[in-house]
Formats: sequence, C-alpha cells, structure tokens
Amino acid sequence: MIVVNGLRKRFGPKTALDGMSFTVAAGQVTGFIGPNGAGKSTTMRVILDLDAADEGTALIDGRRYRSLHRPLTHVGSLLDASALQPSRTARNHLLWLAHSQGLGAGRVDEVLQRVGLSAAARQRAGGFSLGMRQRLGIAAALLGDPRALMLDEPFNGMDPEGIIWMRGFLRALAGEGRAVLVSSHLMSELQDTADHVVVAGRGRVIADATVAELRAAVSDGRVVVRTPSADAGVALIAAGASVIAADGDTLTVVGLAAQDVTAVLAGKGVPFSEVSAHRPSLEEAYVELTRDVVEYRAGDAPEGVR
Amino acid sequence: MRTALHAEWTKLRTSPATIWLLLAAVTLTAGVSAAAAATIPCKTAACLGDPAQISLTGVQLGQAVVVILAVLAVSGEHATGMIRTSLTAVPRRSTLLAAKAVAVTGVTMVTATVAVGTSVLAGRLLLPGSGYTAAHGFTPLSPTDGPTLRAAGGSMLYLCLIALLAVGVATVVRDTGASIGVMLALLYLVPIVTQALTDPDWKRHLQQATPTAGLAIQATRHLDTVAIPPWHGLAVLAAWAAGALLAAAVLIRTRDT
Repeated sequence: MIVVNGLRKRFGPKTALDGMSFTVAAGQVTGFIGPNGAGKSTTMRVILDLDAADEGTALIDGRRYRSLHRPLTHVGSLLDASALQPSRTARNHLLWLAHSQGLGAGRVDEVLQRVGLSAAARQRAGGFSLGMRQRLGIAAALLGDPRALMLDEPFNGMDPEGIIWMRGFLRALAGEGRAVLVSSHLMSELQDTADHVVVAGRGRVIADATVAELRAAVSDGRVVVRTPSADAGVALIAAGASVIAADGDTLTVVGLAAQDVTAVLAGKGVPFSEVSAHRPSLEEAYVELTRDVVEYRAGDAPEGVR
Repeated sequence: MRTALHAEWTKLRTSPATIWLLLAAVTLTAGVSAAAAATIPCKTAACLGDPAQISLTGVQLGQAVVVILAVLAVSGEHATGMIRTSLTAVPRRSTLLAAKAVAVTGVTMVTATVAVGTSVLAGRLLLPGSGYTAAHGFTPLSPTDGPTLRAAGGSMLYLCLIALLAVGVATVVRDTGASIGVMLALLYLVPIVTQALTDPDWKRHLQQATPTAGLAIQATRHLDTVAIPPWHGLAVLAAWAAGALLAAAVLIRTRDT
C-alpha cells in the first residue's frame, strides 16, 4: 500500500505539488489522472525518493522508499520507458536490475516471457519502438514480484493492440492482489481499467473516488425527452421542471427525475418516444472536474516543469 | 552494497563500449611506451634517461582512455535518464556512488596491470637497443628491482586514482562532454600552462599540487631533482580523487534527479 500525505514541492517560482494526498490500496487499479502539469510525475518521483518533497511524506508499507531493502521487491515502477542505455540488450538491461536486487537470470527470462518480449530479448533496447520499451519497462517493474506497481503514462506510444494488452495486464496484476497506480492525462485510457480514480490538478487532489461515485458526482440531473408534441414543454414546466434546451423534437429538462417526467407526460396524454436521464461519461466528468485547473488549454504542453 | 556492486559490474560488462575502451587503453599505453623505449636514446654513461620512467611513458596517454571509461560510466546514465532507473534499484545514493567507483576502479586495475606489464616488458626488450646497456651502467628493466617495481605498481595505482577522480568529477558535472573537458584540462592543459610559467617557485608549487604530480611515482633516477617525491606525488592525486568523491557524495545525496 502506498500512502501519500500532504506533499508540497516547489521548483523555483513554480508550485509543482500543493498538498498532494491519497492512498493506493491493494488489489485494485488506481487511476491517477490530471491534465499536464498537475503534478502526477513529480508525485511519483517523490514516492521513489528521486525528488525530495519540501513537505509531507510518501510511504510504502509504512516506510520511505530509500529505507527499503531490495526496493524493487516492494514497488515496481515505470516512470520513463526510455531511461535505459540504448546500446545494451533488453535482457542485459533487466539483468543488471536483477543483480541489484540479488535476483538471477532465471527471473529475467520469466518477466520477459510475461510481457511478450522473449523473442526480442537479445536485441538492443535502443532499437525498440516506444511500445516495446513500455513492455520492457513493465518487465523491469515486475522483476522483483512487488506488491505495489507504479506506472507513469504506460499507454503512451502503444498501438491499439498494445493498449488492450496493457488494460488486461493491469487488471490481472490487481487481480493478483497488487496495488497498482497508473497515471494518465486521458480518462478514456483508464475508463474500463481503473477501480478507483484520483484526479489531480495544480499539485493537489481534486477528486478521489470510485469510478461510479465520480460519475454520480457530476451528474447534474438532466433528463432528455424526445417528443413530437409542442405541449410537452408546457406540461413539464407546469409540473415544476425547467426546460434548459430545445432542439427540434428534443427537450432537455432539469428539476424532475426521469420517472417523474414519464408520469407527467403520460398523465397529460402527451406523446413521447424517449425519456432518458443524461449520464455523463467519465470523460465529461473529468473535464468538468478539471475545468478550472487546466494550465495549458490549447496544445499539448509537456508534462513536468523542468 | 554487494548487490549494488554486482549490478555495476554487470552494467560495465554488458556495455559494448567497455571492451573497446579497455583494449584501447592497453594498446595506447603499451604502444606509446614501446615507442618511447625504442626512440629515446642514451648515448653515454652520463645520460640522464630514466629507463623505468621512459618505459611507462604510455600511461600519460592511457589515462585519457581511463578518463573516458570512468566518465561514461557515470554521465552516460545522466544523458539517457537511466540514472533514475539506477536510483530506484539502489536508492541509497552513496551506496550507488561507491558501487560505481569500486566497479570502475576494479576494471581499471585489471586493465592497468596488463597495460603497465606490457609496457615494462617492451622497455626490457627495447631499451638496450636505445643505449640503456650494461656498458652505460644500466641493468635490464626488471620488476624485481625495487624502484622499478614501485614505478610500475605506482603507475597502476595512478591510473586507478585517475579513474576515481573522473568518477567524482562526472558525478558532480553530470554532462559527458563537460566532464571529459574538465578532466583533460586537469591532466594536459594544466601541465602545459605550468611548463610555460617563468617563476620557478610557482612552477614548482603547481607541479606539486596538481593531479599529474602523481606521475612522480614513475621516477627512479635523479630523485634529488624532482619537484615532488614519488609517494608524495601519488598522495596529492589521491587527495584530489578523495576531494572529488566527497563533493560527489554530498551532491548526489542532496540533488533531485
């Protein structure tokens, strides 16, 4: 279990973390979502003791990363899939990592098999596509058979097949009882993968909930009515609803639940072909939540501030 | 520390550049040494040549390759970002620095042994042809001779200390080009500037205080005229290496990566 509590960090005049706090529980995939510059990568670097926080703590099973004996057996991480020496082969890259944890070559071959890189094991990692490097990075994260995994934007550079593989893989890892933290700036990537979502913006958590709770939180009670009759609006307003949009035969109303709308229209004898509660997608929920904290609205500014 | 050292050894072993750099270090050291032994003449019994020193001339070029090997082992990780992977595997930073220093020094020691051994052998075979003969009062170069053994063994230590200095400098500077630049300036530019000084006191002080003072370990003749005694010279270099590693240890613990 990873517990992040009140992290603050400044890079010069810029506040990267502003009281970041959340928990990554075992046995589920926790999505760590936020726009670029929200502090996701910095948080992960602080958890791994790569960056020092000005304030706050990040503990793994109650201990600081730096104090862990053979740390890769506690937390596996993938921050930057290109953080390797390009001239070394994939297998040798994993081999020095294994040796650093007192593990042998047998474990290297196991994880290569698990991520589907056995055939490319003796190729130079520098020649790998980003998708293959992501797989190699996952293999490195799994090397110590850790109880917690932390992956920064693992979907980056993956082809559709790779994305499907990654989703299933993350679910399987959580199914094995591991705590899995996965960051992304795209909610859609995590929609069907994450059990729990931590939404970050401007260095702090702005929502920390299950996927269902998150949807409900931004659901605004809008009901969509499809009707050929011009009397529908009048009937609904009389019953206490407000019509907030009308477009051809479609009305959007608030103030009445869907079943009440159906009852009112049926009671007045107004014909209708559809009454449905508007359900925001996770993407809409996310956009709604992060509306005020998106730093770079246009363009795709790089993550981080250095 | 044991596992960290194992990892650093595996890194060196599996980097394609390592073997070529080690071969280059041996070839250049032995080649230049052999060339010096074959070409620096001794025409009379009164000649001032120092056979051991001449046969170890190549160390002055071999050290550049040792510098490149040591710098790349450190700065290469910063260039690719692999340092972050290394630090997640070995989060105790002074342990990582120590493991790297020991691994690089170990590889340097083995290489230096081969390079220096070959150089001494070349000197033994070639020096008589240049006039370093019994007739001029010289015995064949032999490691059983105390001063020659000190010069040869000291040259191996010299190369190891250069490697440690380079590891320290590269850990502080982090950039490959800048690290190699700093090291080459210390090893080649500073001695040239020192030679050009006209004030004899300043010249002597600089010869005593810069890293290349360590080359004094190679002197076996006319020890009364050298700027600094052999072991003192090596101690000066050791102090430089210790200083650089200390600065590296402080910075690697406090800096974000």
